[in-house]
Amino acid sequence: METVLSIEDLRKDYSTGWRKPPRSALTGLNLEVPRGSIIGLLGPNGAGKTTTLKCIMGLIRPQAGRIRLFGEEGAGAAARRNIGFLPEQPYFDLYLTPRKLLTYYGRLAGMDPSGIRTKTSYVLSLVGMDSEADLAMDKFSKGMLQRIGLAQALLTDPEFLILDEPSSGLDPLGKMQVRDLLAGSRDGGKTILLSSHQLSEIEEVCDGVAIIHAGSNIASGSMDELLRPRDEFEIEIEQAWPADGGGMPEGAVWTDTSRTRLVVGKPDLNPALGALLAGGAPVREVRQRRMTLEEYFIEKVGREGWEVGR
Amino acid sequence: MRAIGAFAWSVVQDALHRKVFYIILAFTVILILLVPLLPSADLGVQVDLVREAALGLTSIMAFLVAVILGSTIIPREREQRTLYNTLSKPVHRWQYYTGKYLGIILVVAVSLILTYVVQLLFVLAKFGIFNPGLGKAVFTIMLEAMVLTSVAMLASVFYSPLVCVFLAGLFYVVCHVKGDFLYRAMTDAANNPVTRALAGAGYYILPNLERLNINETIAHSERAFRVGPLELLLLLALAAVFSAVFVCLGSYLFSRRDL
Repeated sequence: METVLSIEDLRKDYSTGWRKPPRSALTGLNLEVPRGSIIGLLGPNGAGKTTTLKCIMGLIRPQAGRIRLFGEEGAGAAARRNIGFLPEQPYFDLYLTPRKLLTYYGRLAGMDPSGIRTKTSYVLSLVGMDSEADLAMDKFSKGMLQRIGLAQALLTDPEFLILDEPSSGLDPLGKMQVRDLLAGSRDGGKTILLSSHQLSEIEEVCDGVAIIHAGSNIASGSMDELLRPRDEFEIEIEQAWPADGGGMPEGAVWTDTSRTRLVVGKPDLNPALGALLAGGAPVREVRQRRMTLEEYFIEKVGREGWEVGR
Repeated sequence: MRAIGAFAWSVVQDALHRKVFYIILAFTVILILLVPLLPSADLGVQVDLVREAALGLTSIMAFLVAVILGSTIIPREREQRTLYNTLSKPVHRWQYYTGKYLGIILVVAVSLILTYVVQLLFVLAKFGIFNPGLGKAVFTIMLEAMVLTSVAMLASVFYSPLVCVFLAGLFYVVCHVKGDFLYRAMTDAANNPVTRALAGAGYYILPNLERLNINETIAHSERAFRVGPLELLLLLALAAVFSAVFVCLGSYLFSRRDL
């Protein structure tokens, strides 16, 4: 499959001061983003996610490694023409209105004035900020600024979106809108690299993930490849199981207080089903459990790394 | 060119939203209007003194606007991270740097034109003299601001605004005294060789900003010598060369800087 972004053995050290050893932010990162997919970039704080995104955008210079965008070497101005970038916690000159800000960015992107006007109105409505288009941003909340950040990333209708924590500061409705926006963009043929701490968001919208830890990726692949089925089954029954109901295998665990969901290991599946049926509990569904992204992430990064990342 | 123009215009918009810019401008105009209240202005050479003081105040204003804007624009955008949004667009860093520089020059130029008009009207109202020749001095003040802005911006690639203001101030002072102080330090055999070498390096490398100071000559109606177009062209060339060197160097260093 054609890749929009390809990173090989990327290394970046940060100076920590006079006569102090440098801190390695990236220690040999490899990453591929196929065209038309949404790839989630995961990792605890300090893992190197933002550094990776900055390297891709040419904001910082890696010590070693290769970055290929659209098949071309490096992240030059020409490559950035096809990229929309949302930095983490975007900030703007707050005396500007969203319309003026987007006009400024449109001019920088080389758009013609009529195109800027049309696209500005379109992207502002897309992020739900069309009614605030002509208000100064100094009274905007963090979530509103985040929406403006998204709008500026989408302004030029780029082929490739690089988004750092796009849902940060958004309310639940805003988060849902972002998820819809991402899925819609992917369906429209765009490629998205998404860095986020929202594991549920990544699990829901991404086709694949790359997990970064201590500057290099420790796992990457599609969701189906990574989140393998477990030897566990969840049984859902239609009525609450009495607390004194007997006959259950020892390893069976009720996962809700109303005792309608039961998790059992593979050897206990048939005995548990037998006990439920014998007890007169109608079985609604039996499904094999799949690892959640959070479980997979903790397994890979380790609980210690996760706690640091929280 | 379009990106450079957009960056330059963003500086103008930014300056228009900074209170400090208006304060400096208003303070300068008020002080110019108060110059005749100085006791020494009662002497017979009152008009010369007023013109000299007004031009001196204008120089200080240009210095402040150039240094404050030159020292703060890049560090502030870096600190607020607005640079990330801007430089993720299909623009080169040299375009950003050059555009911001030109924007500052535009702001300084507008400020100088305003104070020039105030001076013209004031001298006309107070003494009945229409003195457009003041424009020559204002022009050289502008040239000096061009050099100072380029130096402040160069420093701002690496240092905080406060350090940049200090460095630009130091540069201003050294470049004004180099013809006298540095020359003597370089040629005085009593000084140790290191001092003489450093003074020599400074003398030959740094621009002589005192050459750009024609305030006194203009204030005294060019009685001592006339400042002609050729002289102004040479001064323009001097300022343009030094500004271009500092802008190119700053732009190159900024292009290689991690943000």
